[in-house]
Amino acid sequence: MAELFPKEHVVGFIGSLVLTIAALSVVWFDVSMVIGMIILLVTALIQAAVQLMLFMHIGETDDKVDIWIATLFAFGIGIVTIVGSLLAMVWGY
Amino acid sequence: MAHHVDHSQPLEYSTPQNRLNIYGFWIFLGAEIVLFATLFTVYFTLSDRTGTGPTGEEIFELTPVLIETFLLLTSSFLIGLGVHAMRLGRKTPMIVFYILTLLLGLGFLIVEIDEFFLYVHEGATITTSAFVSSLMTTLGTHGAHVTFGLFWGTAIVIQVIRQGINARTANKAFIFSLYWHFLDVVWIFIFSFIYLRGLM
Repeated sequence: MAELFPKEHVVGFIGSLVLTIAALSVVWFDVSMVIGMIILLVTALIQAAVQLMLFMHIGETDDKVDIWIATLFAFGIGIVTIVGSLLAMVWGY
Repeated sequence: MAHHVDHSQPLEYSTPQNRLNIYGFWIFLGAEIVLFATLFTVYFTLSDRTGTGPTGEEIFELTPVLIETFLLLTSSFLIGLGVHAMRLGRKTPMIVFYILTLLLGLGFLIVEIDEFFLYVHEGATITTSAFVSSLMTTLGTHGAHVTFGLFWGTAIVIQVIRQGINARTANKAFIFSLYWHFLDVVWIFIFSFIYLRGLM
């Protein structure tokens, strides 16, 4: 039975629950928008990394470099789209 | 099987075709990342345009959102265990983990649909304001992915029950797990940057 629950997966799951609670601190405590966004960015990115590396097994095959390039490229395009639009349409530059 | 099977690899990677299928699916997930990035862009740009309708702070409820988050995080963990059981060649535990994954996914969907009813009840429909339109489009696209995943995952479970764990079914089941984990990642961003930011 124990072999069905590998330690890394259990630790990763508990970690994702802890990170979710850490993210909730921005609602429970009176934090400024900037501090709140930093907390949310850090907790969300760590959670995404846990999923990618632990549960999605991104680094375990020979084509891992290709997979990382494809994923980070898409992520980069996404960030440019979001930040670029905010820059032009919300932050008023 | 016509292909050379490499026994040093887990079954889902054991043929060249299998490896290509998995790599191809990562490319698809790249396109999905960009799709959701454009939806977040629209939401971030329009989330203050509430017109005469409600704001996020007025309609967001933390409790159902936390339930949805917990259901999806747990289902993502369970499908990870499902893949692990598959690698051990343990068919029954694998099927049990996959079915539990899908049940939690269904639970997520039920809570989300209930949340949509609540919004509409409170006067926030998709035509109320740019804020609600972009909110419902983003949440709805994620929810539609989960819905599709429930059908896809059910088909995978049926195939594994019928054919057992082989290079083909293991490959399909692994690719489905990638899709499911990806939906969990998208939800983490929705939870953080739509709900928690809105309630801050």
